[in-house]
Amino acid sequence: MPLDTSTTYPLTRLRLDGRRWNELRLLQAQISTNPASSGSSYLAMGNTSIMCTVHGPAEGRRGEAGGGAGNAAGAVVEVDVNIAGFASVDRKRRGGGSDKQSSRIATTLKAAFQSHLHTYLYPHSTISIHVSVLSADGSLLAAAINACTLALVDAGIPMPGLLCGCTAGMSGSASTARDPKNDELDPLLDLSLPEEQELPSLTVGTTTAIPVGEDAMDDDEDETMKVSLLNMDAKVHYTYLETMLAVGIDGCTQIREILEGVIKGSNKIVVPRSDIL
Amino acid sequence: MTLAIPGQRLGPTTSYTSGPGTHIHESSVYASITGTVQIEKSKTTPKSTVSVARGPVPSPSTSETPATKKYNTLPSVDSTVLARVTRVQKRQVTVSILIVEPPASSKTSNTTSNLSDSELAALLSTATNPENHSNSDDLRFPAIIRREDVRAVEKDRVVLDEMFRVGDVVRGTVISMGDQSFYYLSTARNDLGVVMARSASGNMMFPVSWREMRDPVTGLAEERKVARPF
Repeated sequence: MPLDTSTTYPLTRLRLDGRRWNELRLLQAQISTNPASSGSSYLAMGNTSIMCTVHGPAEGRRGEAGGGAGNAAGAVVEVDVNIAGFASVDRKRRGGGSDKQSSRIATTLKAAFQSHLHTYLYPHSTISIHVSVLSADGSLLAAAINACTLALVDAGIPMPGLLCGCTAGMSGSASTARDPKNDELDPLLDLSLPEEQELPSLTVGTTTAIPVGEDAMDDDEDETMKVSLLNMDAKVHYTYLETMLAVGIDGCTQIREILEGVIKGSNKIVVPRSDIL
Repeated sequence: MTLAIPGQRLGPTTSYTSGPGTHIHESSVYASITGTVQIEKSKTTPKSTVSVARGPVPSPSTSETPATKKYNTLPSVDSTVLARVTRVQKRQVTVSILIVEPPASSKTSNTTSNLSDSELAALLSTATNPENHSNSDDLRFPAIIRREDVRAVEKDRVVLDEMFRVGDVVRGTVISMGDQSFYYLSTARNDLGVVMARSASGNMMFPVSWREMRDPVTGLAEERKVARPF
């Protein structure tokens, strides 16, 4: 795969915000931002900033499907996503209820974390996650996944590994098949809002590296990972999909390192690692 | 004492067993929460248990005496508790349980065997300090003392305003797990009732009789349902 084009990449191919194709935006995060909740986090990926709080595992409210009646098999994950009216460029006034975009993010997050967390440890209980989008500049779902992971880690809810999300897009004529004569790929990592509106994008969520095979036990470095979330709203020709997926998974690995640093207490600004520099 | 994060491999299952905060995947033990890794050697099996505990890295002095943390238990029926009065009403007193005393079966000659004196003193000094009331009350177990459970005799003549005041520390026994939100306590014994109280002028009072406490500075007496001192 001709992914490493760094040496021949011309300056004019920089993106709108000056990044190269495989650069993440500046990722800043904090955990334990809200002492009133079980776990909380603040995460900013570029100009997308998200606050997340986790309550529970607690007894669910009465009358709800997963609450008072109880789910004996394990805890129920509830996700509530609120996109602030001032989050995007033009102020949106909303009438109480959640709009289509936020309810889609909520459903995806709920499905992802319901199966990801060790919910079987907490029967008859509810883990409620509240996501507040303070500023929306693309990759909302990916940023929400990362913020939720940090908040759940802060809450001490057992999970098999960190669930990290990242977006990957494809610029160029992505709706037509690859031209075998002119085989150039233009994948992009971690899309911002202008890019997301123009280009097809894919959100990948991977869990922490899990070794496979017998020999994987020996070295901790060579680990593969499990894709546990994959979401694409746009149309793209299937020949590009593998490249986008590879770029997205690579972004998740970078994000994981940053999140691990945040969890380990270095609440400093972490500049994303760039392979080019 | 290293910090583990979820998904970090801690060791193979051939030499470790999985303790709290860990899980087993593909014949390896992994951390499932963030915390410090603790390895405990087992006497019965050759494998040692690896577990992950939440919270900051314990200093060497506290890690030597882990047995003193036993008091942080849930209240159960018949357990004796210390609670702070948060609200006095006509029919009931709302309190919040500060601490559960160890059950009588596990008691040794020393009544507060599992609790060091310094820890108890620190807890009670924060309990009677008015500044600490509002912020920590929500986090503790709420409980109710009903009017008929305050004392054993003349139950129908009880006036709760003359028995408790907001901020008092009360020793009580749990008579019921209660409803969804409150435990039910009783103080209907000689050794149960108010153990620490401040007077209207804010001084710690000493007990005079089973229903009176006195301020050592002003000399004024106030009515309380006083617990018999040990």
